[in-house]
Amino acid sequence: MKPRDNRGMVSFAVLIFAMVALLILMANFKLANAVSLTTDGFDTFNSQTVEKNGLAQVVKESILALRETAITPSTGTVQSEIQNRISSLSFPSGVSVTLTNSPSAVPAHVFFPAAEPATETIPYFSTTRGLAGMGTLLSSFAVQGPVTDLGRLSFAFSRVDSANPAEAQTYTVNADLISVPLTNLDLVAYGLPTTGAVPSAAPALPAGTLGQGVSELVVTSNNPANDPSAYPDLYAGSSSETLPYQYRNQASFSWNAYEYVWSAAYQHALISAAQAESDPGNTAPSTGNPTPATGAAFDFSAAQNPTIAGLTVSGNSITIDCSAVQSQIVAVIDAEGVGTVNLLGSGAAGAPFVLLIRNTAGSLGLTQVNFTGNNARPILFYLENSAASFAGRPQISGALLLDRTSTVSGGVDWSGHLSCYAPASPLAGWNFTLSDSPAVKEALAALAPRVLLVSTSATR
Amino acid sequence: MNGRAPPNAGFSIVEGLGYLVVAGLLMGGLTYAMGALFGGQAQPTVTYGGSVYSLAPSFSDFQNAINLHASLTQSIDTADHVLLVGGVRSHPLSDPNGPSPALDVSFADTSLAAAPGSDPFRAYSSWDQLQLNGAQLGPYLTSNPDPADFSLLTLSGQERITSITQQRRHVAAINGQSVVLYEVTYQAVDWSGTLPALVANPQTGTTPTAQYRIYYQASEDTWGQPPGATHYWYRTDTTWNRDQEGPARLIFADPYVLAGSDPLAKISSLSRFVYFLPVLR
Repeated sequence: MKPRDNRGMVSFAVLIFAMVALLILMANFKLANAVSLTTDGFDTFNSQTVEKNGLAQVVKESILALRETAITPSTGTVQSEIQNRISSLSFPSGVSVTLTNSPSAVPAHVFFPAAEPATETIPYFSTTRGLAGMGTLLSSFAVQGPVTDLGRLSFAFSRVDSANPAEAQTYTVNADLISVPLTNLDLVAYGLPTTGAVPSAAPALPAGTLGQGVSELVVTSNNPANDPSAYPDLYAGSSSETLPYQYRNQASFSWNAYEYVWSAAYQHALISAAQAESDPGNTAPSTGNPTPATGAAFDFSAAQNPTIAGLTVSGNSITIDCSAVQSQIVAVIDAEGVGTVNLLGSGAAGAPFVLLIRNTAGSLGLTQVNFTGNNARPILFYLENSAASFAGRPQISGALLLDRTSTVSGGVDWSGHLSCYAPASPLAGWNFTLSDSPAVKEALAALAPRVLLVSTSATR
Repeated sequence: MNGRAPPNAGFSIVEGLGYLVVAGLLMGGLTYAMGALFGGQAQPTVTYGGSVYSLAPSFSDFQNAINLHASLTQSIDTADHVLLVGGVRSHPLSDPNGPSPALDVSFADTSLAAAPGSDPFRAYSSWDQLQLNGAQLGPYLTSNPDPADFSLLTLSGQERITSITQQRRHVAAINGQSVVLYEVTYQAVDWSGTLPALVANPQTGTTPTAQYRIYYQASEDTWGQPPGATHYWYRTDTTWNRDQEGPARLIFADPYVLAGSDPLAKISSLSRFVYFLPVLR
């Protein structure tokens, strides 16, 4: 047995050692705890950044569900669209997010023939509101030509965390709505995701076809097996392909909008507008013909057609002198695929107009459309199921929208807009050049179909 | 042994009180000494290129890093697009491997001169942006870049630079030791006035706006995910003018993470400050 004094000294040494160890442990704990708390705070900051940006995307998609240029817009309210999307999101346990303030309605996105929107050029930087801050994915489209600013909508969301009341937040999402004419982009090789197909790869384009400053757009597969220009870096090949959200605006512009443009709804609206024209060439009522046909729609199958300024008829062939057209829209309907349309260009610039050639004959036959002579008048040509032919390599200003079955031949120097169905592109075998024309974009902006682009940004 | 219980071997009351008094005095002294030790403990540092680097892990630099990345996150969040210079795979055809040169740390321009009025679809990749602004940025490109080096510019509109973030990795021998040094700086640009202004650090009143610098022993600088930048690509298509870059992966040095000092560790060291950053918003 050790003496009592020695036993006391050992106990005391153990006590001191324990105290020192405890102090060191406490110091380390405090340091580790400080790092942990700081890290947690930073993680919370980051997760709420992701959360608010997710809500911004919810607002964008909700607005597009109502107003996108597409064939099946929603008939709900923006509030119900937002709520539907929020309810499908997963938040951390105890966290709920609710829409607390929103505009009563989203502005209608109307364009020709329902309306002729005024256009403007939105500056990049402004003391009030400019393109800067709306994101390059939107502004890259908005700077291509005149656009219409439909304003900014503001939405507020309340975030509640039942487990941590201090983490309550109010998120504000601002949505900027910009209406962009389809003709602002010079060349679009479009896809039809519902009624046709989307392009797997970009169509061939002969070298030297495009002039300086021409903007072109095609949205294709990200699968390198489909499109050799794609890389496997971010492609998930194990499931059906979903394009990254980066392509949302481009898909709106080059897929969904063209579904609408070539839909019966829009084509009929254009024809109705032509039929409602007060064309100066119309025959005046007379005793012999008290109710002559009116308007500016010519139907190859109709027993009686109106007389239309600039349009002459010879059997199943009509000639349109573009310099003499006076209506804002002229429609030519060829339901049997038997007609021929000869287009004489206008040497002088004049008021823009729309020329719709609608052929619903399908495989029965294409409408032959012969372009002759230069044309300086801005014209928006819709060619459906047509065989366009260019004689003498004319120089033509305007916009040419070819549907999925239309073909082209001959040489042309086109100035303005051109769009074609990418999966059956006529571009490879066509002897043409395309140049950018701000004047054509400006002239046709009021008559062109449009795409609604939405930029959302969220703050907390 | 006579069968009686052994005498009590503990302290007497007097001894116990005495020890408690002495223990109290010693504890007070120790607490004071430990407080002085921790309060005045100097983090090991080295000086390189005129800047002071702390040995990782460094709590004070960790705090600086949090401040820097909170500011950077907000700059990214409000940017229209970003321009990432440096890293690997800057272009899948023209520069597939890297490491690509970054911008020199002296770069402090506040706008990109060639960008206004340019084809906005060229902002869909940092590579195109770098080519477009080559006359301005070319002289700043570094030679012999380290794989961890990169420069990140956040942009408002086509041309206004709202922040410049730089990461540099240096390998050096200091005081006979081979060390690896990481330097991260963030410079915000304020466009609210009539002229752009570089934002100073609110604590020091000097530029850059935020920064941290740390170093490791060279033998410890092994990582599961090494600091640096990697570009990812959706496609390159000269015919249809589609140089489309995907989100880039940025890994910044983390002042409170030990690097690969234990090669047998089952979990690799990983920075807290990792971004999967879309080039476009």
